[in-house]
Amino acid sequence: MSDGKSILVDTSRCTGCRGCQVACKQWNDLPGTRTKQAGTYQNPPDFSCDTYKIVRFAEGKKEGSREPYWYFFADMCRHCMNPPCMSASDKDEIVQDEATGAIVYTKETKNIDFETARSSCPYDVPRQNPDSKVLSKCTMCIDRMRSGLKPACVLSCPTAMEFGEREAILKLAEERVAELKKIWPKAKAIDADEVRVIFIVTDDPKKYHTHAQA
Amino acid sequence: MKRRSFLKMSCCLGAGLALSGLGLTLAPVAAYADDMKKADALRTAVQSTTVCCYCSVGCGLICSVDKASGKIFNIEGDPEHPVNEGALCAKGAGLYQVSAANEHRLMKVLYRKPGSDKWEEKDWNFAISRIAELMKKERDKSFIVNNEKGQMVNRVQTMSLMGSSNVLSEECWATTQFARGLGFTYIDHQARV
Repeated sequence: MSDGKSILVDTSRCTGCRGCQVACKQWNDLPGTRTKQAGTYQNPPDFSCDTYKIVRFAEGKKEGSREPYWYFFADMCRHCMNPPCMSASDKDEIVQDEATGAIVYTKETKNIDFETARSSCPYDVPRQNPDSKVLSKCTMCIDRMRSGLKPACVLSCPTAMEFGEREAILKLAEERVAELKKIWPKAKAIDADEVRVIFIVTDDPKKYHTHAQA
Repeated sequence: MKRRSFLKMSCCLGAGLALSGLGLTLAPVAAYADDMKKADALRTAVQSTTVCCYCSVGCGLICSVDKASGKIFNIEGDPEHPVNEGALCAKGAGLYQVSAANEHRLMKVLYRKPGSDKWEEKDWNFAISRIAELMKKERDKSFIVNNEKGQMVNRVQTMSLMGSSNVLSEECWATTQFARGLGFTYIDHQARV
């Protein structure tokens, strides 16, 4: 078996257009969420059983400076190499696809403890449908990958996302981080060795999102 | 239509299924079966290309039509289109909502009388006549033959034309001629909004 697939999200190139977020909703036939204006472009405010992908918009001021920052973080399931959420699964409620490495929540997740699954996830990704009790999150578009297509978010992204064999993506991430470090010394690929969906950031990950890094 | 990526896709699917037969236990396969429906449907769908109706970039998309129902069930970026190579912004990625699948889409002319809070269903004849009538009235009222310096200008400044990126160059030309014929000076394009 090869190392499977990986996705690279280069936040330094993200324009915050949210094409990925909409493409995800479209492909997965997920309904819209009624929301309120919260003074930010981030909408809906968080993941839900109907929202697997969300662009987080983080605002603040740079340390010791009045200069503002505005970071975009196209958050999604990281598809961990050794996913802690699988500890909540006794049988095959949560499965790992051998060919790609994608972590998929089946309909049977209605039988497992939601709180165990959610609290075990360092990225706070799993969500539960309040009616059916089924857990859901990004599937890495397992159906598309098996048909030889890119995941919907990656296909849609005009600037920042890449998809491919894990080895190639890791190499790409390494090269890009080296390039970025020349300008942003804090640049790094978050948890690259542990996850399949690798985020490149140019600043402290905590500034992007509380759960950006494990 | 020739679709290299479509062929590649079919081959990969075959390989994928073969792999799954070797490597996976039965439970995960059953679990995926539901998830595969839409991807499988793509294989047998009639695919046609289109151009995004929103901005002037003109991104290419593929519409997948179910052979049995004749309905579009998926629209996504066309990886072989030179403009966008499959990429789309939030507007283009949501283009499926413009299709008949969207139950909220307006299908009939709705008219609300001045001062009324109710919408009435009307036919197109009513709508077009009403618009023409109001345009004629406004043009007759505000048509300027000479400006303050006495120069002949023959213009109307109280109305404007908003074009569309849906229309062809020739249609753009025709609508612009129409607007200029009426004396419009404010002529713009929705793609700039």
